[in-house]
Parts: sequence; C-alpha cells; structure tokens
Amino acid sequence: MAKKSDVKQGTLALMILGTLEVLGPLHGYGIARRIEETSKNRLKLNYGTLYPALLKLEQEGCVTTEWRRSENNRRAKFYALTAAGRKQLAREAREWHATADLIAAFLAPRRESP
Amino acid sequence: MRRVRALLARIAGIFTRHRADDDLRDELQAHLDMEIAENIRRGMDPVAARRQALLASGGLTQAVEAVRDQRGLPWIEHVAADVRYALRALRRSPAFTTVVVITLALGIGANTAIFSVVHGVLLKPLPHQGGDRLVYLRHSADGPGGENVLFSVPEVRDLRGGAPSLAGIAEYCPWTVTYQANEGAVRIDVGLVTGNFFEIMGLSPLLGRLTRPSDDGPGVPPVMVLTHEYWTKRFGGDSGVVGTQLLLDGSSVTVIGILQPAPFFPNRMDALLNMVISPHHLSALMVEGRTHRMTEVVARLAPGAGVEQAETEVAAVHARMQSDFTEAYDPGSHYRVAVIPFKEALGERARLTLWLLMGAAAFVMIISAASVANLTLMRGVRREHELVVRAALGAGVRRLRRLLLVENLLLAFLGAVLGVVIAVGGVGLLTSLAERYSPRASEIRLDAIVLGFTVALAGSVALLLSFLASLPKEGGFASWILAGAHRLTARLGRHRLQRGLVVVQVAVSVVLLAGAGLLTRTMMRLADVSTGLRTEEVLTLQVSILTPTQLLSDPGADAWAKERYDRMRDEVAALPGVVDVGLGSPTPLRSSFVQLDVKAEGGVLAAGEATPRAELRTANPDFFRAAGIPILEGRPFATTDQWDAGMVVILNQTLADRLFPGEDPLGKRVAWTGDVLRFTPISGEWRTVVGVAGNTQDGGLDAEPRPVMFMPFAQMLAIGGGLVIRADSNVAGLKTAVTRVVRRIAPAAPIENVMTVAQIKDQSVAPRRLNAALIASFGGLAVVIAAVGIAGVLAFSVSARTGEIGIRMSLGADRGRVQRMILREGGGLLAVGLVLGVAGSLLGAGLIRGLLFGVAPHDPATFIGVAVLMAAIGIVACWIPAHRAARIDPAITMRSQ
Repeated sequence: MAKKSDVKQGTLALMILGTLEVLGPLHGYGIARRIEETSKNRLKLNYGTLYPALLKLEQEGCVTTEWRRSENNRRAKFYALTAAGRKQLAREAREWHATADLIAAFLAPRRESP
Repeated sequence: MRRVRALLARIAGIFTRHRADDDLRDELQAHLDMEIAENIRRGMDPVAARRQALLASGGLTQAVEAVRDQRGLPWIEHVAADVRYALRALRRSPAFTTVVVITLALGIGANTAIFSVVHGVLLKPLPHQGGDRLVYLRHSADGPGGENVLFSVPEVRDLRGGAPSLAGIAEYCPWTVTYQANEGAVRIDVGLVTGNFFEIMGLSPLLGRLTRPSDDGPGVPPVMVLTHEYWTKRFGGDSGVVGTQLLLDGSSVTVIGILQPAPFFPNRMDALLNMVISPHHLSALMVEGRTHRMTEVVARLAPGAGVEQAETEVAAVHARMQSDFTEAYDPGSHYRVAVIPFKEALGERARLTLWLLMGAAAFVMIISAASVANLTLMRGVRREHELVVRAALGAGVRRLRRLLLVENLLLAFLGAVLGVVIAVGGVGLLTSLAERYSPRASEIRLDAIVLGFTVALAGSVALLLSFLASLPKEGGFASWILAGAHRLTARLGRHRLQRGLVVVQVAVSVVLLAGAGLLTRTMMRLADVSTGLRTEEVLTLQVSILTPTQLLSDPGADAWAKERYDRMRDEVAALPGVVDVGLGSPTPLRSSFVQLDVKAEGGVLAAGEATPRAELRTANPDFFRAAGIPILEGRPFATTDQWDAGMVVILNQTLADRLFPGEDPLGKRVAWTGDVLRFTPISGEWRTVVGVAGNTQDGGLDAEPRPVMFMPFAQMLAIGGGLVIRADSNVAGLKTAVTRVVRRIAPAAPIENVMTVAQIKDQSVAPRRLNAALIASFGGLAVVIAAVGIAGVLAFSVSARTGEIGIRMSLGADRGRVQRMILREGGGLLAVGLVLGVAGSLLGAGLIRGLLFGVAPHDPATFIGVAVLMAAIGIVACWIPAHRAARIDPAITMRSQ
C-alpha cells in the first residue's frame, strides 16, 4: 500500500487511461513514474496496486498489451489505449468533472447567507 | 458489456495460469530493472539502488498474488483447492468416509424414496386444469355400508340448482361392462358420464376427442374414452386404437380418444363411456328415482367461492331435500353431505400410512445425522493437530471453517448420490404399496422437486456438521499454538454433545422399534383372525354370465344363465380331488355391492333408530358345506327351495342378533324394504328364516362382520355367480382345470378372482405386512446405527482416557473395576435414551391408532419387549469398548505418556 496516499481503484484506472492518452503506449514502470510525477510524489504506487489495475483494464478491453523494446533497448510490456479505453476515459472524466463541480458547489461558498 | 467481457477474461484466466505467471514475472522484473537503472542514474550505488527499488515495489510476491487474484476468479480457485484438499483428506481416512457415506445414504435414501411417494400421492397439484378448485361430494349415512351412498339423479339436479358456489357438477356412475377381447371376455371398470364431465373436471384428451354434450341421451352411438393407464396396460399405448370399435356388453363401442393421465376416485377406471350403453341409466327409474343412488359427484368451485361456503350451501339444499322427500331419507340414518377438496379425497386412504412412513424416515435421518455428527466430532479431535498446524501456517478461522464445510458437503453429496440410488430401488416397492391406498400411485416419481428435497436435506446435514466442529474465535488460535497441544481432547463441552447425540440415537431407535412392534403385532393379530371359514383349502372364483343390462332387459336370460351355472357345478364336482362345489354370489370373503334395508315382521324401530341394513348374498344348498361356513341354527338351503316354493332366507349371526335380539329367529319372517327396491328386481315379500350361519370376514379381516341375508341361489336373479370349491388337498392346483371347465361352458363370460381362501386372506394382510416390514427395517437400521454409535463413543472415551485408566490400574484398580466403570458410562447413556424413547413412543403411539388392529397403542407387552431388546443390544455395544478398556496395560500406557 502506498504510504503517502491510498489510491482508489477507480481513480487509479482513470489516471492510467489519462497517462496513456497523453504519452501513448507505455510500460508499467513508465506509467508509475508518470503518475507519481504528475501527483508531485504525493502518490506512491507499489506493484501490487498498479499491476492488478492494469490487468483489470486489459480484461475490460480498455488497453492492449505488447512486448517491445523500450527507449533504453530493454524488453518491456507496453500498454496502449484502445478505442473502448478512449471512450471509457472520456466518460469517466466527464463523470469526474460533474462530481467535482457538484462537491465544489457544496463546499466553496460556505457561509453565503446568514 | 465491459463487466461481461472482464468476467469471461477472468474465467479464461483460470486456465492460462502458468503462462501468465511467467509473463508477469518478466514484466515485474523489467519494471524493477528500470527502477534500479534510474536509481543508479540518480547517483545511488548499485546495492542501495536495488534495495530502494525493492522497497518501493511493495514486495514482488505480494504483487504476483494480487495480480493472480485479479486474473482468475479467486473464489472458485480457492473452492477448487478446498475440494481437492478435502478429497485427499477423505481418501486418507477411507473407513471414516465409507461409514459416513453409507450412514448418510441410508438416511437420505429412505427419505428421498418416501418423500417421492408423499409428494406424488398427497402433495403434488392434481393434473386436472384448475384441480385445486375441484371438490368431491360425499353423501353418507349411519350404519353399515353408509360411508358413501352416492347420489341419485334427482339429488344431483337439486344440488345443481341450489348451490351457486358450485360452478359445475361432474357426475359419473361407476359401472362394470364385459369387454369381449380376442383372448376372451374380461370385465372392465368404467364410468358412465355426461357430456360435460371432462370440461368440468378440467381434463384434456391425449389423443382423439372426449365426450361432449352431443353424446348425451338415447339414440346416439355408444362411444368410449380410454384412461391413460388402461390404454398403456391393455393396448401398449398404441395410438391406432383410437377410432376402432370394441365389443362391450354385446354392443360395438367406438374408441374416440385417450384421456390424459388422471386419477379417479374412489377407484381406478379403465374407460369412460356415454350413458347410452346402459339403457337403465337413461330410464325413468333412474332419472326420477330419488333413492336410486348410483352417481359419484365432483364439482368445480365457482370463482371466489370456498369449500366452507359450498358446504353451507350444499347442507341447505340437502336439508330442503330431506324435508320435501321424507320417504327418501330415513331420519335414523342421518343422511349428510360433506364437501372435500378432491385432492384430499384422493389421498385420504393413504394419508396416515404415508405420514407414518415419512415420520419413520425422518427419524432414521435424525439417527444417521447424529451418528455422522459423532463420527465427525471424534475425527475432529484427532485432527486438531492438523488444524493447529494449518493455522500456524496462516490459515484463518474462516478458511478452516470453509474447508470443513467443503469436506462435509462432499460427504453429504456422496451420501446423497448413493441415497438416490437406494431410493430408485425403493420407489418401485413403495409404489406397489401406494397402489393399495391411492389412485395417484402412478404419479410417483423421482422428479426435480424430490431431488431438490434430497439436495436440501444433504446440504442441511453438511451445514450442521460444519458448525458442530468447535474452532476458536478468530485470532484465538494463538493460544492453541502456544499450548503446543497435539491433543486437546476431552474438553467437557464437546464430550457432552457426543453423549447427547448417543442419547438421541437410543431414544429415536426406541420410538421406531415401538412403532415397528405395534405394527408387527397388528399384522400378527390380523393373520390370526378367523375368516369364519373352517378351512383354507377352498378355491373361489367369480364368473358373471349375464351383464346387469342383459339381466334387466331379457326375461329368459336368468334361466339360461342358471342352467349354465348348474352345469359348471356338476362338471367341476366331477374333477378329481374335488369334494364339494357350491354356487353363490358374491363368493365368501368378498364384500357385496348390494346392501338393502331389512325389517323383521312385527319388529318396531325405536325413535331415531336407523333402519337395519344387510348385504344380499345368494347361496345354493352346498355353498355352506363347500365354503366351510357353519350353520349355527336351523338348516342350510335345500334343493326344494325354488321359485315356486316358499321364500326362505338364512341370516348370518350379526343380522340375527340385530333383528331378533334374545329370540330364536327360526321360523320368523323378514323382508327387504325401502324405496330403493322399486329400482331393483328384488321383491319386498316376506321370507321365512330357516337358518343362521356363522359370520365371515367379507369386508376384510380388520372389519366388523356385516349383517348378511342369504337367499337361495334359485330364488334370486343371477346378478352374479361364483363357484366355491373344496378339495381334499392342494386346491390351488385345481385352478387350471376349473377355469377350463368354466371357459368352455360360458366362453363369453369374464372369469375373475380365481383365488384360494388362503390367498384372499393373505391379500388382506399384505399391506399391513409391508407397513410393518418397512417400519421394522427402519427400526432395525436405527438400532444398528445407534449401537455402533454407543460403541464408537465409548471406544473414543476409552482411548481418550487411556492415561487415566493406566493410572487407576497402577494404583490398584483391577480389570473388573475398569470394565464396570466404562459399562456404567455407557449404561447411563442407554438408560436415559431408553426412558426418553419410551416416553416419546407413549406420547406418539396415539397418532397411529388408526393403523393398529387388535393392539392397544400403549400395549405393555410391545413396550417392554422393545425396551428389553434395545437394552440388550445397547449393553452388548457397551461391553466391547469396556472389555478393551479392561485390557489396557498400565505399564505401556504410563510409558507412552
């Protein structure tokens, strides 16, 4: 488990899909690094959290996998977004925004009227 | 969609485990390598870089586990592993497994078989469309033969007009006709029905059509619908029979259809015909005669109407009938009509017997479950070591509990499978039993509901067993492990449970044995009942030369038939070995369908006293001698008692006592009486009593003898006929020769019930014998299981106390004392079980009063016998482990401690 902050399964999937959309096909290490960097190291992903999430996305058909050479000429398993994954990302992002807006509406103007 | 896809991927994942694991390890390794490389690039030394990367990974093994859980369906995989483990464990203890599976199979098999009968005969919805809305109307009166007097056509008409809660009334007249088949004449049981019968009953044809209103009335062609049962039995289910013509009572009758399988009440039917076959049923006598009761009535309740409402309305109609037609309802006989759901009516004869069997089977289940529970508990103690080890290796209590459950489910499942095999064998036997009591026996089968019952039974046993095992609370294993105990035996609570189970087994066995004892005594008493005939070396057969229709319509037929009966008598008498031949109808030990009111000359009924009723039987002069029925007073009939001589009768003892209490009946005059005589060829003239005959058990061995009035065979129309043949030895061997003679003289007449008196008697005892045998075998089973249970628990107790016994012996206790100690332990359990069992049987015995004959439900001899038997078996069961205990060698025991 990540010490700094627990990653919820659903949000982790969203982060992975987001990462793959921005960076294109990527291996597990790259995904982990990117998520940690993007979170400014507030999130720490261990393998036991990351890889089941990746497998789940693969089982759902959101990503495909392929063994390839990495930029450093290492063999690594690359994850790539599928059309279904793109759709899923769009839908979840929309839902997430909607939820965030809703919660924000409750939290921001704390004492508006007396 | 996404979920489905994921699920399919996970199911596939179960099977591609090994390849995927390698792949995953490579992937994780690559990740780790990249991380190490990155750390080195940032300036760490290789060792620190590796350490740091491993720390960040959170553990490779854990990651593999987590991915595996995501990959397949961990739940299924765990269960599969549990099943594999349980199979291994069971294979390691084959004796335990065998005993448990067999014990469970016996219990489950007995219950499955009997439940299939209870379900088929009593519980299953009727095959009739809307069968739960059908009600049977029973018209009854006090006195012998009054249980079901049927309805007359005018009565049905009144009911139809006066009870709006009955939406439709279906009538059928039970009737027998002679079917001239290719291989000879047979009598078949038919129902004469009106055109709306099938519609109201909610029955459909399997083939062809059923009767309809256009088949009613005179002047239509006779048609018949075969019942499914008869069609299968007689025509082998050949659809070609539809449209053909059969010769019934001399007329050609077209088979128009085959009825769906359906039960009839009170008796089976071979076919249903329209009324035209019997002119009598269409005659004014029948249609207008209020006391001419020949019709069974089943009605369909109107929507929203209940049985009680229908009963109230029917009672009102009936009360009106009684006040309008006082001559038709003798007030002393208390005529009444009951409205009974048709399903209940169909099950009424079987109900008590079947619930008794179901109860007995349930008891066997209790005993076998208790026995298996004990075995499991004992095995559990021996396995504590194993459980502790597994707990130490990280299995949680829930996991262990699941493991035990899987093991028990497996045992119960094996038991259920074997039990169903046993049940398949038992159902055949039980069906032949049920056929004697229920028209629905053909509906008995091991269907989905019965198997569901079996599965539920096996599942509950498995659950029960799993929760008997005492595991510590979550986390409580630490103390077990710390204690280092490899035997946490003889914890008092568990021991108490085992003893309780033994007491239950003994008590339930006693109850079953008591039931078996009472039923066996019933059967023996019944077999001891005298038939009223002096010998059993008598062969009887019935042969009906004339059908009722012929008899009623053709004036010359009677003389023609009697001439043939006389020839049969003469020719049979000439057969070698035959001593006496009598003619009469019905033959002895068969009940008569003709029951009429009788009166004695000068006799006056007390106010409210029912008119006496008697069975009409005919006999020729040799009948009593041939049958061995004693003439107690006066004389038998003489050859001179003909139509033209004075009318004479012989009363049986019951009727003589009823009509002439304390008087000499000889020479007194009696007569048939009642409105119903108008519809019969029997006259109400005075007849002189010339003799009194002994009673015979015509209604069955367990029935009260009925009042009977014999008329000379020559002074009554030949409404039926029978031969009573006495031989000097081996009367059964005469069957073929006699049948040949009869067949030659009356080739068109059906020959029925060719049986010796011994066979008839046996037929009367047979159902009871089967009952007694079934319950006794349950009882025997129970006792064996219980005895093994006692011996097992004591043996276990001895082995748990080996150390203690060793100490006692080394301190000076001799072998006898040790043996007595163990015997005392077992004897205590036995005594408590016996007391509870006897008390329970005494409470429960009243419930089976209706199945007993000649034995009181609290018969002391039976109860003492059962208690002694159980005690003797129990003591033997205790003695074996006690003997073993006494042979314990203290030196060896002390050393091994």
